[in-house]
Amino acid sequence: MFQIINILAAAPAQAAVEGEGVVQEIARTFGLNGPMFFSQCVSFFIVILLLKKFAFGPILNMLELRSKRIEEGEEKLKRIEKQLAESEESTKIVLAEANSQAQRLIDESKESAAHINEQATQKALAEAAQIKERAQKDAENQVQQMRAELKQEFGRLVAATTTQVTGKVLTDADQDRINKEALASVEG
Amino acid sequence: MAIRTILISFFATLAGVGSTFAAGLPQHAPTLTPEGFPFPISNSMVMVWMAAAIIILFAQVATRKMALVPTGLQNFAEWLVESLYNFLKGILGEHLVKRTFWFFGTIFILILVNNWIGLLPGVGTVGWDAHGHEHVSHPLMRGGNADLNMTLAMSLTFAVLWLYWAITENGVKGFFAHIFAPKGKFGGPMKIMMILVFGMVGLIEVASIALRPVALSFRLYGNIFAGENLLEGMMMLGLPNWLMWLPPLPFYFLELLVGVIQALVFMLLTAVFLKLICEHDDHDEDHAH
Repeated sequence: MFQIINILAAAPAQAAVEGEGVVQEIARTFGLNGPMFFSQCVSFFIVILLLKKFAFGPILNMLELRSKRIEEGEEKLKRIEKQLAESEESTKIVLAEANSQAQRLIDESKESAAHINEQATQKALAEAAQIKERAQKDAENQVQQMRAELKQEFGRLVAATTTQVTGKVLTDADQDRINKEALASVEG
Repeated sequence: MAIRTILISFFATLAGVGSTFAAGLPQHAPTLTPEGFPFPISNSMVMVWMAAAIIILFAQVATRKMALVPTGLQNFAEWLVESLYNFLKGILGEHLVKRTFWFFGTIFILILVNNWIGLLPGVGTVGWDAHGHEHVSHPLMRGGNADLNMTLAMSLTFAVLWLYWAITENGVKGFFAHIFAPKGKFGGPMKIMMILVFGMVGLIEVASIALRPVALSFRLYGNIFAGENLLEGMMMLGLPNWLMWLPPLPFYFLELLVGVIQALVFMLLTAVFLKLICEHDDHDEDHAH
């Protein structure tokens, strides 16, 4: 404290003795002078440029490169996510279409199968009816044939019996009449 | 005469050198070059170069084998620079920090390293006595920021860059409008009054801008120079030689802290000064909404 007071007391007197202005006195006290200040300015400017180029430059470049890579990575990730979403969406659409088509095919197949089934049934029924009809006709024909054969055999037997019993040779007309009479009595 | 006394005492107090006028380190850095040399080199200037060399060497070693996934020194260097960048981005914004980081980053690291290497044993205490006193009047090495020429060079360089950045960001008209134009919408007689008021405020602002380099340089110089003197003073308390290291020891930790704080203060103030002049009113209104 004493030192400060001494300095403050001495300063005006010293300045007055030397005839200096305030600024000059401050400059002298703190060692400010033109050439030294200019040197410091040049020195500082050189130092700051050197630091910018050799110290901050490489680190900032690396940081910028990394942030660019990160940005690119994020961009890629977004793109991939978008593509994935689009792909999922298109897969969903394709699946839905496939499902729809499959359902349609199944329906068509069912319909077609039912139709074919119906046709087959109708055909089978028709065929069965035809077979039945044919069988009936065959049976009728056979019955008619058997009847005819039976009639002939019966006539022959009647004629043969009559010939043997009477000892008379029968004419065709006799045979026909006897046959008709016999058949009429049998059927009657 | 009274004004002169007050001014000198103000700057002496601001610089924290009042107690060291009579003893301790000299207020100015001795030159190492002969008298009349056109480019004088002081011991503090040598320390600045040493600090720059240390920073460059560190950066070169750290970035010798750059890898996208950083490890070791590269990791530390990138953490330091990136933290500083993000910190300044918070103050200046994305656009300005891209333009000006090289300056603010350099200022911070350079001041910090200068402050810390100024604490190395021998700096400021090893030298010769040119006046026949018992203390070192011409130290061989001196903290880079313990020289007002250096701190003033930094401040004035910033002042020039500040003017350049302010004009390129605002335009000449915008720059002057930022300082002198009335803020807000007025009409009639109120407008005339506001023009007068803001004109006066602008003049005060100009004086404030003009004084910024002085305040910046004296603040940094005073803190660092006072710190060095404090350490030397503690060492000269009169203890036996083998115990002289003890009293300054706690203050070394204090000075380490002061070194960081002063570097931060210088960088922060310069960044804020730039932000203030580059801030646009329309942005403010947007933010207000």
